[in-house]
Amino acid sequence: MKHTLTLFAAVILALPSCNKSDNSAGKPAGGLKIAYVTNGIDPFWNNAAAGVRAAEKQFGVSCEVLMPPKGIVDQKRMVETLLAQGIQGIAISPIDAKNQIDLINDAASHTNVVTHDSDAPDSKRLCFIGMDNYKAGRAAGKLVKEAVPNGGQVMLFVGRLEQLNVQQRRQGVIDELLDRPVQSPASMNFDAAGKPLTGGKFTVLDTRTDNFDYSRAKSNAEDAVNSNPDMVCMVGLFAYNIPACKEALKEAGKLGKIQMVSFDEQDSTLAGIEEGQVFGTISQQPYKYGFESVRVLTALAKGDKSVIPAGGFIEVPIVEIRKGNVQKFREDLKKLQSAGQ
Amino acid sequence: MKKILGILGLLIFVCSLTAIINPNFLGATNLFNTLRWTSLFGIISIGVAFVIITGGIDLSVGSTIGLVGTTLAYLLTVRHVSTPLAILIVLGLSLLIGLFHGLLITKVKLQPFIVTLCGLLLYRGAARFISNDQSLGFGSAFAGLRELAIGKVPIIGSVTLPLPLLIMTGIGIIAAVFLHRTIYGRYLLAIGRNETAVRFSGIRTDRIVILAYVVCSLLAGFGGILFALDVNSVQPSGLGEAYELYAIAGAVLGGCSLRGGEGSITGVIIGAAVLRVLYNAINILGIPTMLEYSIIGFVLLAGAIADEVVKRYAAKRKAARELLADDSVRSDEASA
Repeated sequence: MKHTLTLFAAVILALPSCNKSDNSAGKPAGGLKIAYVTNGIDPFWNNAAAGVRAAEKQFGVSCEVLMPPKGIVDQKRMVETLLAQGIQGIAISPIDAKNQIDLINDAASHTNVVTHDSDAPDSKRLCFIGMDNYKAGRAAGKLVKEAVPNGGQVMLFVGRLEQLNVQQRRQGVIDELLDRPVQSPASMNFDAAGKPLTGGKFTVLDTRTDNFDYSRAKSNAEDAVNSNPDMVCMVGLFAYNIPACKEALKEAGKLGKIQMVSFDEQDSTLAGIEEGQVFGTISQQPYKYGFESVRVLTALAKGDKSVIPAGGFIEVPIVEIRKGNVQKFREDLKKLQSAGQ
Repeated sequence: MKKILGILGLLIFVCSLTAIINPNFLGATNLFNTLRWTSLFGIISIGVAFVIITGGIDLSVGSTIGLVGTTLAYLLTVRHVSTPLAILIVLGLSLLIGLFHGLLITKVKLQPFIVTLCGLLLYRGAARFISNDQSLGFGSAFAGLRELAIGKVPIIGSVTLPLPLLIMTGIGIIAAVFLHRTIYGRYLLAIGRNETAVRFSGIRTDRIVILAYVVCSLLAGFGGILFALDVNSVQPSGLGEAYELYAIAGAVLGGCSLRGGEGSITGVIIGAAVLRVLYNAINILGIPTMLEYSIIGFVLLAGAIADEVVKRYAAKRKAARELLADDSVRSDEASA
């Protein structure tokens, strides 16, 4: 019995390490060890991971990429384990900025912490690497205005609304569509989900959430199409939302009749832009999130604080993708992905 | 039949209420979609019903869906295995999963809860490992195969039915005939009531129990294929997550007792439909998605309470009637 238990324990302990081996293969042993923590598992993060891999090679460090499968609880567990291992720098995309301040501050008291993708401005993180989500939201709103110049009803789709970056992104889309003035990030006013908002030529019907369940994302899109015959455009705030909307529209025979504007660069979205079914998408260049995070953390670990700009915000510019530039973007993306593997 | 009256009433109530508030509910596309989702969840609920009828439970349904969906996408898009072979492999895989559960439960005498709970963890991990946690998409290369999940079958004129509905109906008829019209179905129900008594009657109960778990996993696996094809993209960590609860809820709502020995296939399908209609109603009525779990929980609870109250009332009336009949017999005897 004792032997069985030992064997069992050995197998359990060995499993995660075989999984990890491909992450650290060929990395300098005993060198700098940093970590890149995402907010979930998503193709978006695979592109970021490709940036991490490229930066690892360039700066000669080893960076573990961790994707929490079950949200905030897993993210906390992962950070705690990293700290226990004596990690020399963490880049994290906080799932719930306001309520993870303790976790981030605790990590910051042990090692260098930066945020990427979504910020936690009130924490002791050293800087934020990402895009201005509000600005990106407004850019998506502008794409909607281009796609449906006469205005009408718009529905928003997203995985969850807890994250600060999502809230800002959503608010950006809403403010742009309703012709409201630009809000300052410090005192941003967020509209509650669940009731229609009208202004200018547009009505934002609602924001439907799916908790990262792709089937739910699709059925949300189907239901939106069915219950809102006057809807003119669907906006997906997460990478997988527009691919799900595309499936729903295809099955309803409404491809091309209802416009779509997306975020990020899932292949189905890019293919949709090429074929003229999706009007456009806002790319956050996640590859650069990964690359910049490793660059900044490496410098910090070596004592170089000059990498942190005044204001603590390293902006990764967004790229607007429409039919005109989608083909080149798709080719470049494939190259980056294969180089990062 | 009496057992499914309650749940049928709830289904009709929710449908009518939604249709009155927003007539779009009765739109052809919406009905089509709701029927499609009901069929997908109905198929996995029928499987779980078999296990629940024996007094067991299968918590691994969602993970089996995840593993099968992921493996299918992996075989087709990464390994470029031919479609029939890939389907055969994943169905074989789900059959083995069921056999594995059945053997552990009957021969090693482990509790179904622990066996299938470990299965839940095992298969989810395996799905994520196979795919390296990457989402896998079918792209546009498997349009023919995808018809299995999204196909439209023309009935009369422009009226079409989702292909999964026909598949589920077929599975439902076979399951119902098996359960209510064959001797093995009798055994299955009897095992749920009292396994020891059935064994002492000279019936090989182990075989029947194993069969129930095999049916359950096989249908979960088949459901996994349909779910993956329906969305056209597979997220290994998320596909099918918590779907065992929908399947179990569908089965129990439809009249299966968690203590075993009871259940009807029609009821299970109606149970699955109630859940899907509720989700659909929440979207159609524009209720904020934050509230959806609460509303579903509330409606189901209210339905269960109403069902119980009606049953008790009926039982009381029946008892009173019998008492009355007894009395009249006695007074007849006295007068004679």
